[in-house]
Amino acid sequence: MGNKQKHLKRSIKEVNKKGNVNSDSDEEDDFMNIVNGEDIDSSDSEREIEDSEDEDNQPVEEESEADSDNISNNDTGEEVENEESSEDSESEETDDSEEADDSEEKEEGTSSNNEQTEVKETEKRNKLDKKQSKNKQANRNFIVNNKRENKPESTGNASENKKDEYDEHDTSDEEDIRNTVGNIPMNWYDEYKHLGYDWDGNQLLKPETGDQLDAFLKRMEDPDFWRTVKDPQTGQDVVLSEEDIQIIKRIRAQKIPDVTFDEYAPWIEWFTSEVEQMPIRKFPEHKRSFLPSRDEAKKVSKLVHALKMGWIKTRAEQEKLRAKKEPQFYMLWQTDDQSEEMRRIHKHISAPKRFLPGHAESYNPPPEYLFDAKELKDWDKLKNSPWKRKLHFIPQKHDSLRKVPAYPRFIKERFLRCLDLYLCPRAIKMKLSIEPESLVPKLPSPKDLQPFPTVLAIEYKGHSDMVRSISTDKSGQFLLSGSDDGTVKIWEVNTGRCLKTIKTDNVVRSVEWCPNAALALILVASGQEVLLINPHVGDILVNSRTDTVLKEAPKSNVIINERVRTTVQWAEPEDSLYKRGVRIILKHFKEVSQVTWHGRGDYFATVMPDGQNRSVLISQISKRRSQLPFTKAKGLVQCVLFHPTKPYLFVATQRHVRIYDLVKQTMMKKLLTNSKWISTMAIHPGGDNLLVGTYDRKMLWFDLDLSTKPYQTLRLHGTAVRGVTFHKRYPLFASGSDDKSLIISHGMRFVTKSPHRTIKASGKPRIFQ
Amino acid sequence: MQNTSECQLQVRLITKQDIYAVPDVPLSVPQIIESKSLNDLVNQLLNESSSDFLKPKDFDFLVIGELLRVPLIEHLQERNISTEVTVDIEYIERTPAPDPENSLLHDDWVCGIRTLDKWILTGCYDYSVNIWTTHGKIVTSLKEHKNIVKAVSWLDETDLSKGFVSVSHDLTGILWSWEPGTDNVSPKAVLRGHERGIDSVGVSPNSSRLATGGWDTNLKLWSTSLEDEGEPAYKKIRGTNSLITKTPLNTLKGHKETISSVNWVDNYVVCTASMDHTIKFWDAELCGIKNEIVGQKAYLSSSWSPLSNTLLASSADRHIRLYDPRSPEGTLCKTTFTSHTLWVSAVTWSKYDQHLFLSGGYDSGVKLWDTRSPKAPLYNLQGHQGQVLSVDWSNNKYLVSGGSDNSVHIFKNKHVN
Repeated sequence: MGNKQKHLKRSIKEVNKKGNVNSDSDEEDDFMNIVNGEDIDSSDSEREIEDSEDEDNQPVEEESEADSDNISNNDTGEEVENEESSEDSESEETDDSEEADDSEEKEEGTSSNNEQTEVKETEKRNKLDKKQSKNKQANRNFIVNNKRENKPESTGNASENKKDEYDEHDTSDEEDIRNTVGNIPMNWYDEYKHLGYDWDGNQLLKPETGDQLDAFLKRMEDPDFWRTVKDPQTGQDVVLSEEDIQIIKRIRAQKIPDVTFDEYAPWIEWFTSEVEQMPIRKFPEHKRSFLPSRDEAKKVSKLVHALKMGWIKTRAEQEKLRAKKEPQFYMLWQTDDQSEEMRRIHKHISAPKRFLPGHAESYNPPPEYLFDAKELKDWDKLKNSPWKRKLHFIPQKHDSLRKVPAYPRFIKERFLRCLDLYLCPRAIKMKLSIEPESLVPKLPSPKDLQPFPTVLAIEYKGHSDMVRSISTDKSGQFLLSGSDDGTVKIWEVNTGRCLKTIKTDNVVRSVEWCPNAALALILVASGQEVLLINPHVGDILVNSRTDTVLKEAPKSNVIINERVRTTVQWAEPEDSLYKRGVRIILKHFKEVSQVTWHGRGDYFATVMPDGQNRSVLISQISKRRSQLPFTKAKGLVQCVLFHPTKPYLFVATQRHVRIYDLVKQTMMKKLLTNSKWISTMAIHPGGDNLLVGTYDRKMLWFDLDLSTKPYQTLRLHGTAVRGVTFHKRYPLFASGSDDKSLIISHGMRFVTKSPHRTIKASGKPRIFQ
Repeated sequence: MQNTSECQLQVRLITKQDIYAVPDVPLSVPQIIESKSLNDLVNQLLNESSSDFLKPKDFDFLVIGELLRVPLIEHLQERNISTEVTVDIEYIERTPAPDPENSLLHDDWVCGIRTLDKWILTGCYDYSVNIWTTHGKIVTSLKEHKNIVKAVSWLDETDLSKGFVSVSHDLTGILWSWEPGTDNVSPKAVLRGHERGIDSVGVSPNSSRLATGGWDTNLKLWSTSLEDEGEPAYKKIRGTNSLITKTPLNTLKGHKETISSVNWVDNYVVCTASMDHTIKFWDAELCGIKNEIVGQKAYLSSSWSPLSNTLLASSADRHIRLYDPRSPEGTLCKTTFTSHTLWVSAVTWSKYDQHLFLSGGYDSGVKLWDTRSPKAPLYNLQGHQGQVLSVDWSNNKYLVSGGSDNSVHIFKNKHVN
């Protein structure tokens, strides 16, 4: 037992002693008090009656209440008045002495705990109560709190209520039930004479508190005074039962309050601490379980790293930061103009304006707006579909504004309008107005498109008759020209110097330089013959190699079919011709109008317009073999072309251009020129664009990826277009015509690569004359 | 405004030639004064100042760095010069008109011309290389090449005995040795390496190296020394008559079209003009491109002046452009000279005057220019009947041009310091 407890015990004993001194015949009084109290109680509320009944049921309590004491005091008051008055001085004296005692106690018990002081306070209060009770009249508070008096002994005496209603269900919640004010500071009721309300809404009156003298007397007389406390809820004095005292004592002794609790119950070992000699499971622990978890290590290292970097703060650090951080305040309404931003609707879209009223809406509309019979009939006809009506009302004519009645549909229409505005949320429509023209790049000025020739620079003079065909070698150093005077001339481009003249026997209709740089060969269509000539200009090495390559004809035992053999015959030139440079002669059965090389310089195609179904011939130099690709004549063949990279052959007949796949032997496309007579065509070195010149003055630009119709039709010339060609690198093309003009156009094709499709746009061709 | 003819301008006549100095006082002249009247004025002043000045001289007048060709007021207004300040007019002795001196008739078109001292070296379309005297006497004609001779050059500008070089469309160049004054000429070495015709040749200032460019778009550097350079023996044997076959020291690739002109800037830098619209400066030591000028048209000819450190380039758009490769980008082309009506095929600086140059074009005109007069040439030298293919002004005395009329025209420059 601690020191404090000893102290408390002592003080309680003292109290007991005092009580015993002051009230010797307490127990007898008790009995009488209770009987008396019953009489007085009868005028009170039912509850109180019940209480008093309860009281009635327990008349032989060992420890009676202070209140009942008071009552008894009152009853006996007149008898002992004189005594009391004489005792007053005494009691005051004792009070003083007691107070001195109290102060002594206080000094002794400065180290005592709260419980002790509480008890002391109750003692004090009781003293006061006793003093006051002296001056009190008969209508004192006699509400009896018998809660604490549920003695097991009393149960035997109880006739009707064998059990106290709080006996088993003694919870703190139910304690408060008698006062319904709830958990409020009770000092709110300080000024009132009641303490709250009971279940029926009746006021719970404050108990009469006696003066100091009453308290003193009570203390002196009441042996239970030391165990009497005041219930803050009801203001009643409550005498603590033996059990309560026991609990308090146990709490003060720092024991478990429940007496029945066995502190030293046998220990049940739920989780054994013993190390098992044998494994619990029959299979051994997994190896993994001995290894440190890599996952956890990762997590730990992450956390450590975060701590190191300062991303995670320890609690202390956080505290420190918080202390350091100034509270962040901001002005809710900083300035007047800023409050605008805080509005909930930022982009207000105003409601669409309504149309202004017209003549039809007028109260006195012009007569033409008034409905005649037919219109009225129409109006009625549309009764079931009023939205089809032109007007949503019938124009009415009134003599004066004064006679205009109230508009019956006003509310309805306003409502509908509001409904419209509400149900059709307005949204800002983001509309991009892109003109198709703006997507097309701006045309560059002709100045920026330089270089292209603007003036005649050099004339190549030497031919005595019309020049039908020209061709440049790959480097651009030499120019080849074929003329009606039967000669082929090779010119130096830069100076206009004729380097070589090769005489043939017939009109030269077409010449072309071999595109293969390793072969020094020119193709000359002279009459019915096609001559392969080594020009002997440029690289000597190439020239000699070409000669050696062509010297021996490859022996092949492929039988040339009759059709081809009647069309063309390969022949070696005579010595005189060989000296002129002629290496191979192909004798055709009809006049050859055009020759053209394949891009690699091994194959070439010849066109004989009069050859019917044998008009196009493809020959191969390395094998000295020819073949007729077409069995049927599709029309009068004007011109043929090889695709620069792919094995395609373009064949221009009078009206159409057909593209054949030479490998698959099929026609791929048929380009519709929509013109009367094609004269010539040229393909862009890229192979995607085809330029077709026609005798009916047009120039057609086909984009082969785009469609079979011309991408652009250019009517630039006044007369038939005779020749067209693309520039090797620049986006330029030129066309020559019978009107003695040469037009250089600028045509750029823009290709934008997107994952799904290819978009093409183009500038219009520019013409420079 | 007031009548311009009445208005006077304050001018000060200055000169750098002391013998023609006039008193340095501001003079009042009419605004519309032209160079002719100014000339009279100067002559008059000179007459007054010194008695021994007998013969009147012709002067040209430089106003703000350009020759006066129009009335003075117009000249000033064009350049936004205030007429209220005293205008400095510098006068210089006028370049006298060259006189036609001689015409050398060849068998074919004349393509390359170089003069040195009184000797004229020509390359001809009949595959021959000829040496002429300026008096019109042919010294020798050498038919060693098998195709058009496109360009010739003396190996040493100071020493005739070093010989000369000729390049041709037969893909070779030949180094010749010559005993000056005689017809003792012999080919010494053949330059083999080009795959297409060679169009141009240039000799470095210290005569140790050659640069050639042609249709194979490569610039090739060669050594000029005739000694055996320790090359493999079989190369020597391959030459027909004990010719040394030389292979290029270096091949510089970079052009996309034929190199039309090769000039040495100094001993280590070669400048090439090409038909691919670019002028490139090559470092001959490191064999890389140092600098590049991208133009609009194919360049046909170029000439580097060590006197003014500028490059003249003529192109197919009829213009001659003056480039200063040292100036920052964008202002490379300093001046454009336009007077030719067709391609300008040849251009060359005067070796002795930093302002004068000569150009020849396909319009059969040969023009003498002063860089201070970009609008019009000083003189048109008439005489050619066809395209002018080559011009030369290596010897200050003679302005030489050759063309497709098979002739070389020689004009005598009277103004020789």
